[in-house]
Amino acid sequence: MRQKFHIDFVKNSKIFFCISLGIMLVSLVLNIFVFPTQVDIQFTGGTIIKYSYGGDIKSEDIEKTVNDTIKGMESLKNDTITFAYSDNLAADASKQNNHIVSLQFTGNKAVSVEDKKAITTALQTTYSDNNFTEASSSSVDASKGTNFFFKCLVAVILAAVLMIFYVAIRFRKIGGLSAGVMAVVALVHDLIIVYFTFAMFRMPLNDNFIAVVLMILGYSLNDTIVIYDRIRENRRKAGPKTPTGEIVNASLNQCLVRTICTSITTIVAIGSVLVVSLIYNIDSIVSFALPMMIGLISGSYSSLCIAAPLWVMWKNHKDKKKAEARKNADASKGSKKSAKSKEAKASDKA
Amino acid sequence: MKKSRKPVFFIVFVFILALAYTSIFGIYGENGDFTITYIKGINDIRWGIDIKGGVEAVFAPADGVDASDAEMEAVKSILDLRLVSQNVTDYEIYPDYTNDRITVRFPWKSDETNYNPDEAIQELAATAELTFRAGTEQTGDVILTGKNVKRAYTSYIQTDNSGTRQHVVNLEFDDEGIKSFAAATATAAANQSQISIWMDDELISAPSVSKEIPDGNCYISGGGSEGFSAAEAAKLANTINAGALPFSLKVESYGTISPSLGSFALEAMGIAAIVAFCLIFTFMVIMYRLPGFIAFIALLGQMAIAIMAVSGYFPAFPSFTMTIPGIAGLILSIGMGVDANIITAERIKDELWTGKTLDGCITNGTKGSFAAIFDGNITVIIVAVILILVFGPANILSAIFGVSTTGLIYAFGYTLLVGVIANFIMGVGASRLMLRSVSSIKFLRNKRLYGGKKS
Repeated sequence: MRQKFHIDFVKNSKIFFCISLGIMLVSLVLNIFVFPTQVDIQFTGGTIIKYSYGGDIKSEDIEKTVNDTIKGMESLKNDTITFAYSDNLAADASKQNNHIVSLQFTGNKAVSVEDKKAITTALQTTYSDNNFTEASSSSVDASKGTNFFFKCLVAVILAAVLMIFYVAIRFRKIGGLSAGVMAVVALVHDLIIVYFTFAMFRMPLNDNFIAVVLMILGYSLNDTIVIYDRIRENRRKAGPKTPTGEIVNASLNQCLVRTICTSITTIVAIGSVLVVSLIYNIDSIVSFALPMMIGLISGSYSSLCIAAPLWVMWKNHKDKKKAEARKNADASKGSKKSAKSKEAKASDKA
Repeated sequence: MKKSRKPVFFIVFVFILALAYTSIFGIYGENGDFTITYIKGINDIRWGIDIKGGVEAVFAPADGVDASDAEMEAVKSILDLRLVSQNVTDYEIYPDYTNDRITVRFPWKSDETNYNPDEAIQELAATAELTFRAGTEQTGDVILTGKNVKRAYTSYIQTDNSGTRQHVVNLEFDDEGIKSFAAATATAAANQSQISIWMDDELISAPSVSKEIPDGNCYISGGGSEGFSAAEAAKLANTINAGALPFSLKVESYGTISPSLGSFALEAMGIAAIVAFCLIFTFMVIMYRLPGFIAFIALLGQMAIAIMAVSGYFPAFPSFTMTIPGIAGLILSIGMGVDANIITAERIKDELWTGKTLDGCITNGTKGSFAAIFDGNITVIIVAVILILVFGPANILSAIFGVSTTGLIYAFGYTLLVGVIANFIMGVGASRLMLRSVSSIKFLRNKRLYGGKKS
């Protein structure tokens, strides 16, 4: 056997668990105190309008124009707007419209098309030389947003349950149900990491978040199953006497090169997307490629260092319990016997 | 080893190259000034509005009106009519009867110069104005308007004594409508002229009047011996009902992306795809040598199948709207495809180091790796199918959440499913055929080419 690696995943599993829990804990603290989670208007409801424009205008001027416009509106007069400015790298070679201003309305309110049109007209007439153009806009009703979120959640849960079911059947020789549950634990681990990635990089949770979650779900699961397959095969070869830890360790090391190579190729694919979209500054694709890449790394890691070792712990725990139960059963049988004999003696006395 | 295996590699190789070429570049012919598309290429893919730019809007009845299913059907047909009259043909429209919502999504036309998203949405939501006019011109006198029409419905009746039955559209008017209609039909019958029905400025029907209709009880037949088809009659009835809607539409939510931002993203994705392919090729050939090269060819074939499924390569399968989540699905399926080949190549390497013969190693390697590839792919298929069922046209959770609120995730499920099936064909099927065939070619039988040690 060409085996280059002898990493004791099972023995070091506590270290891996600590690393994962540590990262999550630090992320959680940062998430709560430093980088609060931003939820995109797709889920909360609300409105964002982005305009591209050319030339230089003072930000105060733009803000004044917009605020003056909405003050005159019945529906928006009590709203405040958050302004954000960025460079428009999608501008063509002539460098027209090289700036972008983004208007986000507070109060998660859907701004009507009429009101949006009024704001656009105000900007276009006030700065007629700057060629104000609507780059993108998005307005979502709050009830529709939450509905969509829960639908996604139910779909993910449904998929997870079916996967546990499939793994339980296919891997019944090695105790499929627990294997399926551990695979899902690894999945949850990856999804938490993806979630924190969004929070850390201050990317709002949106469609892309769901796409990344789904992709990582598939990837992490495939990774875990390839390893389970090795365990199943090695268990068959080695027979039931060999300790679970030993078999899992051998399987993990045999799969290591494959896991690394697959991760590299997938990461290279996503990495190219990420680098190109960073160079071109396409936010919508960066906010999808970056967390996907981190999720991929986490997915490979969790299959090797979380799912399989966790499963070994579970197995060992179960075996111990079984052994104990047997011992107890034997013991109680023994004690019952003695009790009976005592009774017998007692009746004798009477 | 059978000799006949040798040509297999070249047949599969050429087949995949041809598939890849046609799926990317398509096949076009020229007929005078027109280009005829024989096979659709990558340029014919319909890109979603998140990539190419476009408009998405959700319409709902204003003032919280609870619309009936028939009324929603009428709303849909009026939106259909308006989109087509705006020359938008590749739109998507999703009515949600449970929550009374209609989602419309359409990309910018490639030659769009007058880019005005606000107007596009407002035009769609404008209250429909249905008018019956004397004569066939829009300038003709208005006989009655949509509010005089109680309802329009279809029936299948005998229109004359010939005994054949036709689909017709029946009309019911209110009292005021009956009166003015009676007067107008009397004039029209006397002059042998027609009455035209208009939706906004669109002529939807111009029936001729055979006699005066005093009681408002009338129907419109398709004329001729054939008459309307069932679908034509239903469409006309829906459109007339749309003009008689008792509520106006409001825009509940919308999203717009400008065309320049969109095309820019598309260009960037193209570059990324080429870079990624080159890097994967280099990596696979260095790591796995000959099997790596074969894996790359199989990957090309897998991509070709996925592109074909999206672009509408076979006329029988309609083209599919490609979105960013759709691209995510493709990337995942490519990852799975490469993975299948890596698993196999690793197995073969392992076998080679035990010192077996090349043929034995390839047989054992492909056999040993199959279960892992199979289980991994099947579980991913489960995920894909769930997503398609939940977010696609089947909408299995619609009882709880209403009809699909987004088509984006459906795209992910679709490309993933197609990609994984393509992986079974190419990454598992074709690459094994090629590997076996190549290993029967004498000068390619060096174990080092398969990752074995120096012999």
